Amino acid sequence: MELIEELKTKMIEALNLEEMTPADIDENAPLFGDEGLGLDSIDVLELIVLLERNYGIKIADPKQGKEIFASVRTMADYVAANRTK
Amino acid sequence: MIVKKIGDSMMTPLGFSVEENFAAVMAGRSALRRYESLWGLPFPCVVSLIPDEKLETAFAQEVDTKNLSGKCTKFEKIVLLSAAKAVKQSGIDPSSERVVFILSSTKGNVALLADENPDLERVTPAHTAQMIANYFGNPNRPLTVSNACISGLCAQIEAYRCLKSGQYDTAVVIGADVLSPFIVAGFQSLKALSDEQCRPFSANRKGLNLGEAAAAVVYTVADDVADGWQMVAGAVRNDANHISGPSRTGEGSYRTLMTVLDESGLLANDLACLNVHGTSTLYNDEMEAIAITRAGLNQVPVNAMKGYYGHTLGAAGVLETLLTMRALEKGKIPATRGFDEIGVTMPVPVSSESVDTQKNAFVKLLSGFGGCNAAAAFVNGYGL
Amino acid sequence: MNTRVTYRVRLTPECLEMDGKRVAEAVAGESFLTQLYRMNKMDYPKFFKMDVLCKVGFLASEILLQAEGAERFVPRSDRAVILFNRNSSLHADRTFQQTIANPEDFYPSPSVFVYTLPNIVTGEIAIRNKYHGESSFILLPEKSQEAMNRAIARAFLDPETKSVLTGWVEAVSETEFEATMELVVSS
Repeated sequence: MELIEELKTKMIEALNLEEMTPADIDENAPLFGDEGLGLDSIDVLELIVLLERNYGIKIADPKQGKEIFASVRTMADYVAANRTK
Repeated sequence: MIVKKIGDSMMTPLGFSVEENFAAVMAGRSALRRYESLWGLPFPCVVSLIPDEKLETAFAQEVDTKNLSGKCTKFEKIVLLSAAKAVKQSGIDPSSERVVFILSSTKGNVALLADENPDLERVTPAHTAQMIANYFGNPNRPLTVSNACISGLCAQIEAYRCLKSGQYDTAVVIGADVLSPFIVAGFQSLKALSDEQCRPFSANRKGLNLGEAAAAVVYTVADDVADGWQMVAGAVRNDANHISGPSRTGEGSYRTLMTVLDESGLLANDLACLNVHGTSTLYNDEMEAIAITRAGLNQVPVNAMKGYYGHTLGAAGVLETLLTMRALEKGKIPATRGFDEIGVTMPVPVSSESVDTQKNAFVKLLSGFGGCNAAAAFVNGYGL
Repeated sequence: MNTRVTYRVRLTPECLEMDGKRVAEAVAGESFLTQLYRMNKMDYPKFFKMDVLCKVGFLASEILLQAEGAERFVPRSDRAVILFNRNSSLHADRTFQQTIANPEDFYPSPSVFVYTLPNIVTGEIAIRNKYHGESSFILLPEKSQEAMNRAIARAFLDPETKSVLTGWVEAVSETEFEATMELVVSS
């Protein structure tokens, strides 16, 4: 749970989601597409940097990101299982 | 009144003249090399770099350093050198008030930002453009077109309009960019780079390679064109879709193609080839194939030159236009180096071998970040 | 071709002027650009992702187009967006350079890198308004109305272009910027 909150805070900062607070982000909602946060391809790339910088996770292929970044929860699960720092 | 080419030059890792470059392309040579850790960057990359030593020698021979204050950067050197060669070949008086200088560059001197105390005034390509105008004693304010990857074509379109509008009689267009950790790391962060040689339009393409180049062309107004190339149309359109992702429908590129065909009166059958962007990223090549098909040009041979040079950014539009002109003069459509098996959903005729042609017209196509797209049409002599 | 300027907006860190009249002033607190975004009730969260050059150009265009009052967000290709400055994308360039300057903390930022091109602001305006017409960014060695007027006159040589959203948009830092934007139409 703590990781989920941490990821929300880091995402808001990294993606300049200026008008959002962690409470506004539903960890089960889709991050992409019209519902949910509506993030785009540049946001995915920035999330890849976020995971590498904070958790030492390297994702070479952005296509792999689709499943990892489906929601904040899937992201947290992936980080928990693969983090090196 | 027509707009005619009267001089050109190019400087790439494959040669410092149009002739050398054309010979290298026809021989299937590539300037792309793999580096495991170029400039200490923490990833391997495939790029093409202009050798410094050869540049120094040529610069000392061709450029009158009396007219310059201080030491030039690599970017300034290739800009000055390519401009000097094209101006000399054209025989124009570059100090005339009827001449305008137009520079095309995406990042110019951005490498200076790595200096401890960077000269911020000098980072902008507008500074370099003024430096060229000063060097040639030209009294007009130089223009710099900075429209990402389409800049080299936009600069030629701007030249075309400068002459068509009667504002000037002659335009010297220079397209140039050099590489630096800034540019390479940036494209790497977008996951746009391939760590192998690029394969435009191929099923197994993985991304683009970056390259350094400068190319210059001189256009002037003329009444008639018995021989030589003329520019006959150009257009710039926006996808209005995304700042970095190509449009899924090829909207902007499609619109540039339709405008250019309409303006020039050229038909699909008149065109020897479409010299396209062909960066070898998944989305760019797919987008171009869709735009070409929508414009009804999918029977026209398509070729791309990134396999020889990589993506040379602000130089690409000028370099690739000039090479296509030279090739068609010799009755050849150069091979798309790196191409093997077609890998776009709308098949377009790309060839890994050079093809003979009798036709004398082509369309150059480019697209870039910011959703921008450009196309221009060129005809040799009476042409059709 | 005869053309005329219909609306003119000037945006500086201190104030916003519309056709020469001061219509908004910066107050202490949030940046003036954010204040203007909120004042004009733009529901466009992408604004906060933009670099300062884009924010300045985008806001000036929004205010100008609201004044124009024509139907918006309908795809069209008869309007070009042609902007000018001297220093290109210098602020985004310096920001990106910081992300690669330290080999121990080398994380080049993709969302900063995309803004290291001046023409991105023309793209942002085109996306917002569904403008499929010409978009272009021209660098000049210094601000010159004459040079801009000549470029705008040339832009009308494009057979589809009937109006040009144009002007000088410079932003060298978060607090040093200027946009002078106008809508030029053929008459």
